[in-house]
Amino acid sequence: MNAGKLGSIGLRAAGVFLAATVVLGVLYPAVVALVGQALFPWQAQGSLIEVEGVTYGSAHVGQSYKEATHLWGRPTEAVVVSQVTDDGEAVLWYGPENLSPASQEFADRVDQRVKEIRAAHPEQGDAPIPSELVTVSGSGFDPHISPAAAEYQVERIANATGKSPQEVRSIIRQCTDAPFLGVFGQERVNVLEVNLMLDGILEEPL
Amino acid sequence: MSAPWVTTLLEASAVVALLVAVAIPLSAYMVSVMEERPCVARKLLGPVERGYARLLKLDPQQSMDGKSYGAAAVVLTLIGVVGLFCILLAQGVLPGNPEHVTGLAPDLALNMAISFATNTDWQAVAGETHLSYAAQALGLAVQNFLSPAIGIAVAFCLMRALKSPSSGLGNFFMDVLRAILYVLLPLALVGALVGIAQGTPQTWEPYAETQLLEPVGVDAEGQIVDADDPTAVDTVTEAMVPLGPQASQVAIKQLGTNGGGFNGANSASALENPTPLTNLLQGSAILLLPLTLILCFGRMVADRRQGRALMAAVLILLGLGVVALVSAEFAATPQLEANGAVYTGSLDQSAGNMEGKESRIGTGETALWTAFTTAAANGSSNGSLAGLTPLGTVVPLVFMGLGEVVGGGAGTGLVSLLGFVILTVFIASLMVGRAPEYLGKKIGPAEMRLAVLLVITPALVILAGAALFVLVPAAQGSAGAAGSQGFMNLFYAAVSAGANNGSALGGFNADTPWANGILGAEMLLGRLIPLICTAALAQHFLQLKPAPNQASALSTASPLFIVLLLVIIVLVGALTLVPALALGPVALGL
Repeated sequence: MNAGKLGSIGLRAAGVFLAATVVLGVLYPAVVALVGQALFPWQAQGSLIEVEGVTYGSAHVGQSYKEATHLWGRPTEAVVVSQVTDDGEAVLWYGPENLSPASQEFADRVDQRVKEIRAAHPEQGDAPIPSELVTVSGSGFDPHISPAAAEYQVERIANATGKSPQEVRSIIRQCTDAPFLGVFGQERVNVLEVNLMLDGILEEPL
Repeated sequence: MSAPWVTTLLEASAVVALLVAVAIPLSAYMVSVMEERPCVARKLLGPVERGYARLLKLDPQQSMDGKSYGAAAVVLTLIGVVGLFCILLAQGVLPGNPEHVTGLAPDLALNMAISFATNTDWQAVAGETHLSYAAQALGLAVQNFLSPAIGIAVAFCLMRALKSPSSGLGNFFMDVLRAILYVLLPLALVGALVGIAQGTPQTWEPYAETQLLEPVGVDAEGQIVDADDPTAVDTVTEAMVPLGPQASQVAIKQLGTNGGGFNGANSASALENPTPLTNLLQGSAILLLPLTLILCFGRMVADRRQGRALMAAVLILLGLGVVALVSAEFAATPQLEANGAVYTGSLDQSAGNMEGKESRIGTGETALWTAFTTAAANGSSNGSLAGLTPLGTVVPLVFMGLGEVVGGGAGTGLVSLLGFVILTVFIASLMVGRAPEYLGKKIGPAEMRLAVLLVITPALVILAGAALFVLVPAAQGSAGAAGSQGFMNLFYAAVSAGANNGSALGGFNADTPWANGILGAEMLLGRLIPLICTAALAQHFLQLKPAPNQASALSTASPLFIVLLLVIIVLVGALTLVPALALGPVALGL
């Protein structure tokens, strides 16, 4: 192939790259943002739960809960503090555990979690602990927990909050989403929503 | 209630049936727009085509020869590498950077630029902590459109050569435009809006800082401890919620077999993949174009049985992988079961190995997605692959190690598969003493050389990369663990890069100069060599006269041929992978 031919191919390829950068890199996300924000403003801004001026988190980002009055979510190991706010404060962000479930290190962590959970739930005795309470999720910030894992905690929450187990179960049920078409995905409880309702910050689920 | 793995396999069957049902009309549409046949879409968007041709001073009717076609594909890829490299270096001073991230180090920037321009989307660092909005939208997402379009274009170039009578290879630049304008962009627009409706952010606002319900302490290693723990070096009261133009990027990452997430957690993040519905749509989108292109092939050569036969071969391999992976993940490990202290059954929760899996998605659909994303050269994930059981890890390794044949990348998957078909035709014809020919085109030594190079490039690149990781002491540091686990981390990375997949085991220490260098070289060679081979092969087939004795030729749409094809694919794959699999996941699982 002669240099002239290659040169004209190069020029055209550069033209394609520039046109793509403008159309696909600027116009495409801008159009999606315009339409998306007009139709679904809350979702497009991150599904933030705001009550009386305080933003308590996103419905899609889990947090770390250890207090007896709260529903606990998936364990949050491997946390990184990766961002610093303008006033110099550290902000939390989560990562996955990245351990093979066949490794000794993983077995040790599971044993540790089992001990802590058993100690906090004497009323459950030696009942097996639902797996999602001892496994870190794929993202590390799973916003949900299984109904089995929520039920395991009901009595502890009831004892700590002074609510009846029925009240706690009712809150959990209100914050539970069904699988898509009853088949795809899992039934799951949004932990932040439950805790905001337990704390009386949210009156009703989102 | 039936066993959970049965439910998952029924779901898998439904998804694949749905995909094929969509791929049939979509393949007819794609052939129409790529072959300039009259259709409504071309009437509507014709002015865009004409404006583009004027801008580039192109005659849309004029076909390129194989050399020019291949050169154009390589040049556009390399311009993408250079352009993205510059954006990543300069993101600190470019606008669209509300989180004030700094430019990437040159080795990391080059690795990421190659990664996205080659349709691999390997990510050595997490997007939400290292990349600006501009770098994501203006840089990565643009390559997420261009790289599959290049793959689709080159696949059509080869299909046109295999047509009889053939009227030329087509024009690369028009093919790239048509793949984006008529296929990728409309699908991505719809996908992005569905994503937003379900909860994926799309905004230019900076990250949200939110009040934690329970303040936590963080120790010196960044691990969470109680706020009043003596090892706590800091008390944290706020959490970050990464925002940005996520939905627009997630849609094209799935459709274009790219796989690179906006966030490090990819589609395991509930921001990128908020609900079971998005999980279903994104998981299906992974395989949509690879399967559609296989059916396009049957239409292009005017013998739809050819496309159906290849589809059957791919679905058989996919089915085997899905069954193996799903059953491996529903069997929890003894380490997780902890002598019966942990419940891993299916009552009111997802059964099996939930380590590294999200509550809304569950074990079965994470396994399914993992099979899909490594069958297609996508590489996105909806869980942490490091959390797979050892035997569960075998399936992604095998799917990638076979070299993009189980669907593969957009365009490149079909091309790899055709390489194997040509190899199979050659071997089978010689076994029965016939002159090898395919679709009426005689296969000679020159065509065989190219087809073999096409078929073994992934294996060569993968093994060379893996050898470097094992032999160079400075590169071994990326293993991130000792023994079999460490070897598996290294080998998985080498396979993922060489097969242009981009998925990773989280334990791998990716951002080192050696890892960036080895994997960057793998990704580039694993992409460019097949692109060049394909264009050269197309030129050869174009010039071949139709073979005289078509009636006696081997049937390439028969069940017997499908079996032969599968045997050849598995043999080549086994030669590449078996020793390494024995040292990695098999040793770990025993």
